Amino acid sequence: MEINNGGKQRGPGRPEKESTSQGHDKIAIVGNPNVGKSVLFNNLTGSYTVVSNYPGTTVEVSRGTAKIGDRTYEVVDTPGMYSLLPITEEEKVARQILMDEKPRVLIHVIDAKNLERMLGFTLQLVEASFPVILVLNMMDEAGKRGKKIHSEELERELHVPVVPMVATTSRGMGVLRGRIEEYTSHEN
Amino acid sequence: MKIDRIKYDDPVEFSLEIAVDRIENMLEGDYRLSKRAVGLLLLQEDEDILGIVREKEPGKINEIVEIVEEVKKHYSHPLDYVITMRRQEEARRISSLVEENTGGGKFSLREWLSRITMNPLTGIPILFAALYWGLYKFVGELGAGVVVDFLEEAVFERYVSAFFISLADSAIPWPVLRDLFVGEYGVITLGIRYALALILPIVTMFFLVFSVIEDSGYLPRLAMLIDRVFKKIGLSGRAVIPMVLGLGCATMATMVTRTLPTKRERVISTMLLALAVPCSAQLGVIVGLLGGRRGAVLVWAGVIGFVFLFIGYLTAKVLPGERPTFYMEVPPLRFPNISNVLIKTFARVKWYLKEILPVFILASVMIWLGKLTGLFEAVIRALEVPTRLMGLPRESAHVFLFGFFRRDYGAAGLYDLAREGVLTGVQLVVACIALTLFLPCVAQFLVNIKERGWKTAIAISAFVLVFSFTVAAAVNYALLFLGVSL
Repeated sequence: MEINNGGKQRGPGRPEKESTSQGHDKIAIVGNPNVGKSVLFNNLTGSYTVVSNYPGTTVEVSRGTAKIGDRTYEVVDTPGMYSLLPITEEEKVARQILMDEKPRVLIHVIDAKNLERMLGFTLQLVEASFPVILVLNMMDEAGKRGKKIHSEELERELHVPVVPMVATTSRGMGVLRGRIEEYTSHEN
Repeated sequence: MKIDRIKYDDPVEFSLEIAVDRIENMLEGDYRLSKRAVGLLLLQEDEDILGIVREKEPGKINEIVEIVEEVKKHYSHPLDYVITMRRQEEARRISSLVEENTGGGKFSLREWLSRITMNPLTGIPILFAALYWGLYKFVGELGAGVVVDFLEEAVFERYVSAFFISLADSAIPWPVLRDLFVGEYGVITLGIRYALALILPIVTMFFLVFSVIEDSGYLPRLAMLIDRVFKKIGLSGRAVIPMVLGLGCATMATMVTRTLPTKRERVISTMLLALAVPCSAQLGVIVGLLGGRRGAVLVWAGVIGFVFLFIGYLTAKVLPGERPTFYMEVPPLRFPNISNVLIKTFARVKWYLKEILPVFILASVMIWLGKLTGLFEAVIRALEVPTRLMGLPRESAHVFLFGFFRRDYGAAGLYDLAREGVLTGVQLVVACIALTLFLPCVAQFLVNIKERGWKTAIAISAFVLVFSFTVAAAVNYALLFLGVSL
């Protein structure tokens, strides 16, 4: 069992080693149903959760660990949610995770084909001051539909890291790992 | 890094921006979310957040609630709506800056396929084609027929059983103990044979088909297609997914009912899953059993379908509540990724086998113990009463006893009986109907308790038990009365 409180009590100036000995930093994966959260989770942790092409498959919360650089993180995959204002029970579970576990990094996965529709939730997460990394998944499908997204510009607008990705073929995973590393070593 | 935050300014006297600012300054506790976010959620009237704030700032909650009430007066729309729209406006602004449309979004084959699966006129024939080829032909005829015959007769009976029987004969001097392993209900000759030679091939083929269908993105389209019918029975199309998953395993599907938005829908779905949705092994065995008798398949499917709609409709009438609204993301149709399909099938089969093998073995042991104590005979005699009412031969009573352990175990027992040739066509259909509607297996019962509570779970089981025998008996009399032979 991981002791969650260990990480939370940590003062800003403490050395990193202590934090890992008390429990790993957490990475939470959130997003609408069916945008590829579980695939991303599997890619990060190397474990297997059932992945399907329909919304609402993740009911139980999956947890695993990921090694990025020389640090180990605990990764939490959440049930799909549309916003921070929950409607269904699974959304409540997802929000509870975000509130209880204070993730060090929050990966918001969106479907690049539906950027406009999904960005509202990103804005809300940023507004709530979560440490967001935005993953634009399914870039290949967006490309096939003739959509091009300038991720650097998006980064400038949102002030959070943006990573284009095709999770099913692991394209963009390297960049994401780099961004997670940067994120967790800069901030305190 | 300071973020330019979204302003909720509006040309009203007391705008959201002013309100959220004020609430933000009043909050003192640690909420994990930023105070601004908490303020906005309060304005959106989030009950949970209100509860937390009430706990953390008991002195200020009244004032906060007053502020919320005051702002509401200045807006003609619900605040939740206004806030969401404002955010969406910002999302639109940003996406218009960063997104470029290079054209190319042409009318594709994919788009066309997607449409015809959702249009009732073309969608229903497509559904039937998928059921016929995927289930009836592939799982039923090939899986439950050809593959099982081969494994059962050519492999298991000739080699495995024979080997263990001769081993037991020479190694175990006491016949009572020999029975435990290789007797009529023995651990090897019944439990393991059912699990590996009967259920395993059927389930593997079912999960294979299921994974392909699932990954193609067909299910959400099916949900859209069936939404209208489901609305009539008080469920939204969203409930199609637990139902279809129920064909894989009703226990797993009952857990997925958690994704349904209203309690009413959750109870109706749990009920229907316990009653009228057969799980994969059961379905495979039944389709295999009735295979070759098209009429029998039709009677079976007709009765189960009718029960499903009728009970759904009744439950919806009885349970008070709003009619569900339905919205769902429809993902694109994709060509299933072969390795994902294989991995998924493998993971499911492994999980399934891990579930059933201990239960099947345990069942053999319990039956053995029951036979030693005479309890087995007593239960069988009790079950012979409904069995007789359904017009079934007395040998079939033990099938229902098996069904108490797991439905698929019961189905496997029925398969054995049918092959011995003791059942007529009508009896076969009646037995299949009774077993399909029969009690949820132990695992599903436990999940029902966990998800819906003791009372609901027991009420559902009691109802299902009586109902399944009643319907089967009624079908038996109807068929005999009409002089149908199948």
